[in-house]
Amino acid sequence: MLHLNGLGKRFGEQWILRDLNMQVDEGECVALLGTSGCGKSTALRLIAGLDRQDEGSIELDGEPLDSIPAERRRIAMVFQSYALFPHLSVRENLNLGLKIRGVSPAQRQQRIETVLDTVRLREMADRRPQQLSGGQRQRVALARALLRDPRVYLLDEPMSNLDAQLRDDLRPELRQLILQGTQPVLYVTHDQQEAMALANRIAVLKDGRIEQIGTPEELYKTPASQFVASFIGRPQINLLPVDKQLTIGIRPEDVGFDPEGMPCRLISREWQGASQLLLLDSPRGALRMLCAGDLSLSEPLHVSWLTSAEHRFDAGSGHRLAE
Amino acid sequence: MNLLLLLPALLMIGLVFVWPMIRYGWLSFHANSVLTGLNPVPNGGANWIRLLDDQRFWQDALQTTRFAGVSVGLELLLALAIALLLDQRWRGRGVVRALALLPWALPTTMMALGWRWIFNTPYGPLERLNEFVGLGPLNLLSTPMWTWLVTVVADVWKTTPFIALLLLAGLQTIPKDLYSAFRLEGGRPIQALRCITLPLLMPYVLIALLFRGAQAFGVFDLIQVLTGGGPAGSTESVALYAYLNAMRFLDFGYSATAMLAGFLLLTSAMLILAMLLRLSGLMKPVQP
Repeated sequence: MLHLNGLGKRFGEQWILRDLNMQVDEGECVALLGTSGCGKSTALRLIAGLDRQDEGSIELDGEPLDSIPAERRRIAMVFQSYALFPHLSVRENLNLGLKIRGVSPAQRQQRIETVLDTVRLREMADRRPQQLSGGQRQRVALARALLRDPRVYLLDEPMSNLDAQLRDDLRPELRQLILQGTQPVLYVTHDQQEAMALANRIAVLKDGRIEQIGTPEELYKTPASQFVASFIGRPQINLLPVDKQLTIGIRPEDVGFDPEGMPCRLISREWQGASQLLLLDSPRGALRMLCAGDLSLSEPLHVSWLTSAEHRFDAGSGHRLAE
Repeated sequence: MNLLLLLPALLMIGLVFVWPMIRYGWLSFHANSVLTGLNPVPNGGANWIRLLDDQRFWQDALQTTRFAGVSVGLELLLALAIALLLDQRWRGRGVVRALALLPWALPTTMMALGWRWIFNTPYGPLERLNEFVGLGPLNLLSTPMWTWLVTVVADVWKTTPFIALLLLAGLQTIPKDLYSAFRLEGGRPIQALRCITLPLLMPYVLIALLFRGAQAFGVFDLIQVLTGGGPAGSTESVALYAYLNAMRFLDFGYSATAMLAGFLLLTSAMLILAMLLRLSGLMKPVQP
């Protein structure tokens, strides 16, 4: 079990991470979700021991990690750049760490062959990283992490350098290889869809602090702030100002046609197959609406939503208001 | 069309490189000295036959090779240490980087003059120091062994910054993530130097070796000013010998022969070196 207690890091006067409190259980995957520069990668580097925190502590299974150097923490990290050694073949890349850690040659060979089969790279074993595709490099990086036999997995935007199709293909693989283990997994990403698909819980970070932490469902259904509401869920939630105190959020999928509802003008329409996304000009401002793809539309359109589907936020602070 | 675009560059190279070489080749098959009234007179291969038998030329070739080998070797080691230091983050690094380049920016003749005074017997500060600590004057510039060492020191002092700069550029192409990954694999910093830094830096080391090797083999100004080739010709280089033949003995035919022979020796040495490196696989391009 990984415990982060009030973790903080600053560069000069600027805090880039503050008050990070979190617990990741065995076999649990927690996604750190946020825009670039929100401190999410910094958190991973602190846990790995690559950087030193300025406040707070890190505990693994009740044992403090803070005084243990990175090379002895037994933590595996997968980098966005993959960080494969360019002058070594795939097999040599996998071998290097085992050799450094003093694993016997016979055992090294056996473990490498096994893991090469696991990530389906046996044919590529003698190639160098630059001769591999992005997806294959990614799998080498995963294989290296697996061979580390780590106590924690840290994944830093592992799929951000891959195209969308490949990301979708690799997700099940990632789940099977790493997320089904018994280790805690921390997964850094800026892609909310990826976080929702892979993580048991998501921590949304903003300006170095946790804005909200919870299951994907909790974040989607009861976002703690306007920021979380607009970060989680696609197409993006509608934020409609009511007065100086109140903003309401309504998800495009909660807006429905209703002959009694507000009259709206259709501005544009994105057809997505099973559904279509409408951009409407309503008396309350621009409004996104998701409806069935086979619906034929005739203006004027009348729409409404249930009050129970509304999310109510403080217009000033952006915080969610009590029901 | 493609050739046409290359023409200006080819013309330039032809003018400043190919034409002089052809002219050297032509001259090396002629007697052209005071004895011929400085008119070229074909003499068959007499210059080349004389060269093969010329003890002084081969002695100089050996001395030049030794000078180049030792200087460049020392420069590489020192430059690597400096580059590694300048690649770390520390306060005042920018200033030190600029300062480290200064020796290289100094004209060779100026710094050679400086060294000559430093090593002067008995007035130079170093000899004064020797006297003071009781070593007595070592006659630094009149004992062959010491003088040779002085030329190496001067050359190392002047050109180490250039190599350091080259290696520093190489170090900065190595992604920092590789070091992070290596640490998490369980590697200590000293192991990272051997497993990551040195192999990835190898192409830059080889480029430095090639550049500096060729340059050191053609050394002229440093020797001319610092020792004049002495004492007793013990620091004379091939280029200096060719210069003496032309400018002191006014034997332009033989000077051209010596120069060309030096060039051929250097090129074949470089080609053999390059071939060995290719065979050893160190030259393989590495793109992180």
